[in-house]
Amino acid sequence: MDMDAFNDDFKVTSKGKHKSYEIDYESLTQGAVEKLMQADIEHISGIFGVDENTASLLLRYMNWNKERLIEKYMDNAASVTSSAGISPLEPPTSQSQAPIRSSIEAFVCPICFDDSQTKTLCLSCDHTFCASCWIAYATSKIRDDQEMAIRCMAEGCSLVAPDLFVRSILEEDTTTWDRFRELVIRHFVASNPNLKYCPYPSCTHTVSCPSASSKSSLATVVPTVACGASATHKFCFGCPIDGDHRPVICGVAKMWLKKCRDDSETANWIKSNTKECSKCQSTIEKNGGCNHMTCKKCKHEFCWVCMGPWIEHGTAWYSCNRYDEKDGVDARDAQSKSRASLERYLHYYNRWANHEQSAKLSIELYSKTEKKMEEMQITSDLTWIEVQFMKKAVDEVEKCRMTLKWTYAMAYYLDKGNEKELFEDNQRDLERAVEDLSELLESPIEAENIPTLRQKVTDKTVYVQKRNEIVLEDTANGFLEGRWQWNCSVDGFD
Amino acid sequence: MDARRRRVMKEIADCKNDKSSNIRIDMIDDSPFHLNGSFPGPEDTPYQGGHFEVDIVIPPTYPFQPVKMKFITKVYHPNVSSASGAICLDILKDAWSPVLTLKSTLISLQSLLCSPEPNDPQDAEVAKHFTTSKGSFDDTARYWTQIYAVDPSARGKSSEKLQSAGDEVAMAGLEKAHVDQFEALGFERGKVIDALRRLNYRGANVANITEDRIVEELLK
Repeated sequence: MDMDAFNDDFKVTSKGKHKSYEIDYESLTQGAVEKLMQADIEHISGIFGVDENTASLLLRYMNWNKERLIEKYMDNAASVTSSAGISPLEPPTSQSQAPIRSSIEAFVCPICFDDSQTKTLCLSCDHTFCASCWIAYATSKIRDDQEMAIRCMAEGCSLVAPDLFVRSILEEDTTTWDRFRELVIRHFVASNPNLKYCPYPSCTHTVSCPSASSKSSLATVVPTVACGASATHKFCFGCPIDGDHRPVICGVAKMWLKKCRDDSETANWIKSNTKECSKCQSTIEKNGGCNHMTCKKCKHEFCWVCMGPWIEHGTAWYSCNRYDEKDGVDARDAQSKSRASLERYLHYYNRWANHEQSAKLSIELYSKTEKKMEEMQITSDLTWIEVQFMKKAVDEVEKCRMTLKWTYAMAYYLDKGNEKELFEDNQRDLERAVEDLSELLESPIEAENIPTLRQKVTDKTVYVQKRNEIVLEDTANGFLEGRWQWNCSVDGFD
Repeated sequence: MDARRRRVMKEIADCKNDKSSNIRIDMIDDSPFHLNGSFPGPEDTPYQGGHFEVDIVIPPTYPFQPVKMKFITKVYHPNVSSASGAICLDILKDAWSPVLTLKSTLISLQSLLCSPEPNDPQDAEVAKHFTTSKGSFDDTARYWTQIYAVDPSARGKSSEKLQSAGDEVAMAGLEKAHVDQFEALGFERGKVIDALRRLNYRGANVANITEDRIVEELLK
């Protein structure tokens, strides 16, 4: 069996078709971004009739906003040029250190106090320092401070070194020069709402996704993107979540994560250790003593065991046998109502957390299985390709569990109604399929049963993939059609 | 000799030769990278007459990164932490320039004592004291100068008297009558001083804080 036929087993829809839960984006290398930047610089350089170094500094000063720069520059070119650190506020006076270059013997660098330096440098402000101080200074600014504006070292001087100058002093240190260029590019990317830097450590790719650049667009699309460096560099263009939070939109995902951070641990503890006062609903922890409780807040006296008023217990200390008393039932009803919202949250939270945990476990399981299968490949006559079907299945299970995980966050905030029921039906179908496949993956592997297991797993994987598509597609369409109703206010919805 | 060492040695030598500025920089042990700087408190301020010592650490990237300075002498000042001596001053952070020297930085610290910046405080409690009742703040700052910054030999016999128990109150910039009043209610003296200091029970502010509020703070 060749590789293509193997892949065909898992193919569900034809390639190239744009799915409603996917977004158009483009991954750019650092070089490509540099080209975009260069185009802006050349544009400004052409309009203003200045050299590219100057144009670049002007653009950086204005956070790469060309329109605003043009407007301000046309208004008062001199003031923009000096605030951008290109020309000195006042022209250098004649008594400055300018002539020192010609009489190098007399020059003592005011920073290192060295009089043996033969190479000195200065910007157009004529504040002269020795070359080695400039190098040390620029390196320290770039490497320690992540700073791309290398200002003149003189106190109070706001002149910024143009790229050509930085380049010349870092001639021998290409790593620092590369870092400098990266800082400039990062600034360019950060200033442009259509661009986002890949958040993975030491990755230098950028993603361009104009259709998710506005805040309002994030109410209808989930811009999950991946940079060109690696398919695992998946992130959300709209929010700082690393990874894929489809099918829920950024606003809901953010709300849910915040709720989980604030509540989960505390909620579990409250649920197992406290009860509410049957009169004022304050949460009470019983940390010892008898069952005769007196609420600190409303002074209501009640029995911890049956929650009824203490008055009905008379002198029956420590023995509560009044379970059926009407007041006790009422009190428990009131309490169960206030518990209901907590229970509801925990219902969704536990499932959310469970899918995350299960996804981790199936990956662990797979690494064990993989070893076994590779051993089998050596001991039996199975080919490499024939023992690889598990990998596909585990990947799919993990992917679907992530979808399922987020559907619980979505369901928590969805308003009751037909739409929610349909959503939960889709969720249930996917969940059931994923659980079945998960179970199959755990079945014992023997050389004899591999062909049947392979068939079963492959079939199930295709089915799971289909169910996942349905959930993603239907939810995405729902956002586009404005079908989802929330039970609280969500960013971007009225 | 590397550039950093040469520069620091020259700065120390320059400072020694300059008698007019009254600024001293001394080495601790033999390393020129951990120093002790000192200067007299500026005249016509509550710090007058004091002698302020500063701990100076020269980072490996000096002079391209700012020098690290903190007060060793306790100073009552909005931009200096009353507990650690940490200093809030722009030239020790972003506004640092490699042409600044240890001497010029110490002079800047000296002028910081003349002109506090309560809007950018290091010590919020002290800054609150400064903004609400300047007169009382000056008294406390002067008191701290007397206790911590005046050479014991110059202070003479008065030192014993100054460090007796009653001075805790003055050190916190509080009125003895106020402290006595709440101590009489059965609270520990130290606790009363802490609470009143936290609430900034000073000067005109006294009218804004009810006794109940103070008792509440004391019961915390």
